[in-house]
Amino acid sequence: MMRDLLRLPGARLVLHAAVALLAWLLLVGITGMVDPLMNYYIALMAMYATAMFGMTILVGLSGQVSLGNGALMAVGGYVFAVTTLNWETVPFTGIAMNGIWAMLFAAIGGVLIGLLIGGLGARLRGPYLAGLTLGVAVGVPAIANRFPELLGGETGLQLTVPYPAGGYAAAGEFVDEAFTEDFPTEQQDELPTEQIEDLPTEQVEELPTEQDASGDDLLTLDNFPNEGDVLTEGDVLTDGDFSADGDDLLTLDNFPNEGDVLTDGDVPTDGDFSADGDDLLTLDNFPTEDELPADPSAPDGALDPEFAVDPDVEATFDGLDGLDAGFILEQWQAVLAVSVACIVAFLALNLVRGRQGRQWRAVRDDSVAAAVAGISPGRSKVSAFVVSSVFAALAGAVFAQILSYVGPGAFGLGLSLSLLVGVVLGGRGSLWGAVIGAVLLVWLPEFVLRAAGDRGWEEQVTNNAPNLIYGLLVVAVVLVAPGGIVGSLQSLVRRVRRTPASPSAAGLAERVDAGVGKDDS
Amino acid sequence: MTSFIDYVLGGFGSGMIIALMALALVLTWRATRVVNFAQVGQAMFTTFIALSLQTLTGSWVIALVGAMVAGALLGVIVQYLVLRPVKRADTSGAIIATFGVLIALQAAAGMIWGGDSRAYPQPFGNTAITLFGREWPVSAYDLVVVGFAVILVVGLTLLFTRTNLGLAMRATAFNPEVARLSGIRVGRTLTIGWALAGIVGAVAGVLVAPTSAISPNSFDILLVFAFTAAVIGGLDSLIGAVALGIGTGLILSVVSGYSDSSNAPVVALVLLAVNLVLKPEGVFGHHKARSV
Repeated sequence: MMRDLLRLPGARLVLHAAVALLAWLLLVGITGMVDPLMNYYIALMAMYATAMFGMTILVGLSGQVSLGNGALMAVGGYVFAVTTLNWETVPFTGIAMNGIWAMLFAAIGGVLIGLLIGGLGARLRGPYLAGLTLGVAVGVPAIANRFPELLGGETGLQLTVPYPAGGYAAAGEFVDEAFTEDFPTEQQDELPTEQIEDLPTEQVEELPTEQDASGDDLLTLDNFPNEGDVLTEGDVLTDGDFSADGDDLLTLDNFPNEGDVLTDGDVPTDGDFSADGDDLLTLDNFPTEDELPADPSAPDGALDPEFAVDPDVEATFDGLDGLDAGFILEQWQAVLAVSVACIVAFLALNLVRGRQGRQWRAVRDDSVAAAVAGISPGRSKVSAFVVSSVFAALAGAVFAQILSYVGPGAFGLGLSLSLLVGVVLGGRGSLWGAVIGAVLLVWLPEFVLRAAGDRGWEEQVTNNAPNLIYGLLVVAVVLVAPGGIVGSLQSLVRRVRRTPASPSAAGLAERVDAGVGKDDS
Repeated sequence: MTSFIDYVLGGFGSGMIIALMALALVLTWRATRVVNFAQVGQAMFTTFIALSLQTLTGSWVIALVGAMVAGALLGVIVQYLVLRPVKRADTSGAIIATFGVLIALQAAAGMIWGGDSRAYPQPFGNTAITLFGREWPVSAYDLVVVGFAVILVVGLTLLFTRTNLGLAMRATAFNPEVARLSGIRVGRTLTIGWALAGIVGAVAGVLVAPTSAISPNSFDILLVFAFTAAVIGGLDSLIGAVALGIGTGLILSVVSGYSDSSNAPVVALVLLAVNLVLKPEGVFGHHKARSV
């Protein structure tokens, strides 16, 4: 019945749209119910999933092992950052620039870099392509150093407006007027001029050393602002945005004595983010910011530890409509990342299950046979590269907004490797595998961190344990279960279904499996 | 012009190290038709072992020998436990598995020795040599590096051309089936190839460590340079790897001298891309890099 319905023209499109829409509604509903930390994880998972849908198509369906997708994400992130920082209106149209336009430009950047690298790599055999993309992963982020004025060099660029105050996603929908007026004016005026000059002198020593010191290669959760240890890095990445006092960027040294900062003349700006004395960098502060300008006695409130559990703020965690009442940065990030991921998933579903997906698989399995059947292997491989590059660029733009920062360190070889790890563990060639891989990439480091806390491991053991597990798991999966988690589950289902030994049942199971392999991929 | 000569001479030391690492990649490729992306991970790991030995004994030579032994062992372990069982049909699998090994080795090194960069002690003087009334951008240590590289290359060449083992290895690389029919123990020959690559990589690691610091990720960039050199050299050719390794070192040194060392990865990428478009089989190679 279902099968017949799906034969109707356009039925697949409707089905995929429905799946994507349902997933979106479900996930957005969840973002309204969970705490900011969970929302932050959801944002990261959705961001990884977006990039890994592209990896699934490239590595799994088209059979091209690419190490370069982290660099492709860098292209998206940098295009997003540079266009939002430098363009006030969309060129040739005069429309005011906003985040959606910037993400569109990021996608266009993805198409161009995908055509370039895909065109170079499409005719190369496995190890050559892997080596070329490895060079891309290392070389492309290094290009930022070549243009320190435009791209910020080694220190990277702070994004001025990562959230709707800047005008995208209809600011009024999310934030009240006071917020839109107060916040962006300070940032937009001050940051571009002052920060670019200041950063190199003040932060050069700090950023790289702290990133090196983390010791792990893959980009894991402990690189992000929410972990205790990572407060150091989080402030460099994000708080630069908010230190509108220009010459005195918030660095690690400033933080222990926030009391000082608040009693300074700078209170109106610093108070914005050191709103609650003891919990500076969890970003939970930002939801309360829209209230601070309205409250001139902010310094007192800011030093009050109870300030963070203001009942108004608590109320905003209760549901979706919380977005109207107050602005929760993590929730907004999660909604943004989930929205992009669902759109990309819709596109990926249509590509993978349609004619294009069949062509990719045909070329992967036997390019000569595919060519005989009238498929151009070169064009097929380049198209897979372009699609994955666009997805990666979109993920990079989302990543830039989550971090409010782009820099070579954030998009290094580690990011590329973690994308490969996620796709391989989840299951090469399966879109579900990409989702599972994304969850694994975010959850495992967190799990290890907790286990380490319970057992009292040393820091350098804890920091590296996730990557050791990833590396060993990747080897184990390649040797024992090349289909990854999804592939193993599928073959398990297949085995269970085959146990009734009647030939017709086996035949049916075969067909169902084929269907499963195709449909659920 | 004098600065150009200086940059070229200054590139010899780093070029030799790139050449050694490229040589290691070529040795594994010849043995098993696998590009071992974990090679720099193995070299990093053995260099940390060497550093520990050096701190323990104070002897640079003992550290080097220890690293070579560890490199050979690690090469055998990786080949035997990881690459040998990969299914032949899974063409992407071998590549992905080597990256898995790389990730695991870097994490393990970070666990044991920490993520911070460490200095590796200088065994010999690192001051520029003064000769004919001017300073040359070459130190005694650079000469030692070049000396070691020459010894290794000559030794490997002799091994491949003058010994039964070398003949067996060449035969296996040329055609494993025919080699097996001729009575060569192919499996053992392949493992020996990986052990040799491990030794060469370990030497490269110990030699490069004093010129830069050592950390779990510090050799990543060397992998890109070595891969570039090995591929342009033809992946199959020992001479090609050495020649192009030195050449890559010289080019990168000149580029870094005239602009900035952070441009080196971009230049390597451009070199690699141009080579793969124009002459994908490499300068010295005859193996097909392209399909269709």
